[in-house]
Amino acid sequence: MIVLVLVGLIVGGKVFLAHPKAEINLQEARAKGNPQARVKIVEYIDFQCPACAYGVKFLKTFFDKHPNDVYIQVRYFPLTNMHHHAMISALYSECAARQGKFWALDDLMIPQQQQWAQLISPEPVFKAMATQVGMDIGQLNNCLVSDDARKVINNEKSVGQTLGIVSTPTYFINNKMVVGVKSLDDALKAYFP
Amino acid sequence: MYTILRIVIGSILLVSGLGKLLSPYQNFLYVIQAYQLLPSWGEVLTAQIFPWIELIVGVFLLIGLWTWWSLRGALILFGIFVVVVGQALLRRLPLESCGCFGEWIHLKPQTVIVLDSLSILLTILLLRGLSQTKKFSLDSYFD
Repeated sequence: MIVLVLVGLIVGGKVFLAHPKAEINLQEARAKGNPQARVKIVEYIDFQCPACAYGVKFLKTFFDKHPNDVYIQVRYFPLTNMHHHAMISALYSECAARQGKFWALDDLMIPQQQQWAQLISPEPVFKAMATQVGMDIGQLNNCLVSDDARKVINNEKSVGQTLGIVSTPTYFINNKMVVGVKSLDDALKAYFP
Repeated sequence: MYTILRIVIGSILLVSGLGKLLSPYQNFLYVIQAYQLLPSWGEVLTAQIFPWIELIVGVFLLIGLWTWWSLRGALILFGIFVVVVGQALLRRLPLESCGCFGEWIHLKPQTVIVLDSLSILLTILLLRGLSQTKKFSLDSYFD
């Protein structure tokens, strides 16, 4: 009887505790690769998180090897309680995305994470990067002070939380959740042995 | 006294298991990976099974069912925690939090070692005074 109750508890719990899945949006500016690819990855990151930086480098190498077989989309999950520059780095990224420069800025911001993470204000560094990638600084300034970009970031984080995300980097590979680069590597090996 | 201690130990395990189960198992898997102790398949298996064991042992201690076995189970669980967290500290693995209670409570590994060691001592105490531990339990009802 007790065993039956336990089995029922576990099965019921599994059903009750199931989380929704991350649906990919093929219209996003923060995406790259082949939209018809058999492997679609949604990447929830905090730009100041060291493991995320490692994940971005890992995925970049992976993408360079399989450019036609992978579609990658970045979503924001700033851990503002842990990282002081999580929100401002996400804001610059979102504003870059609105000018079609997300990946260009990402390519500068992520490799230099250790340097700007230690600054009291990383904004001068981010502005220099924005200039370097050819962003319109007037548009950028307007974007930074607008509520719209911040809303997009906060909304994405809220959606991430409903999906069960608590830490970064978290990925959804063809809707299957994996957390951390080790699991990402393991999961991708199943598709690309 | 013994009954309260039994309920405290049971609650710790219940909260620990539930905290992990309310989140997708992948989050606990990420915590396990940080300890760098198991092969990949072992990490996945542990992430999926371990929280249920904590929850079940916790519930059994709370209601006082199969108390002797549940206390033994709790002793093994706390022993595992001490060994796993201890080896991580000895190897100076970069752990910010132990990950023991899912996202509910964040404790430093050093704090967890102390708390788990204390829990081991309390569990041994409960085992030694089993007849008193079984007061206000389902075991005492069935006995």
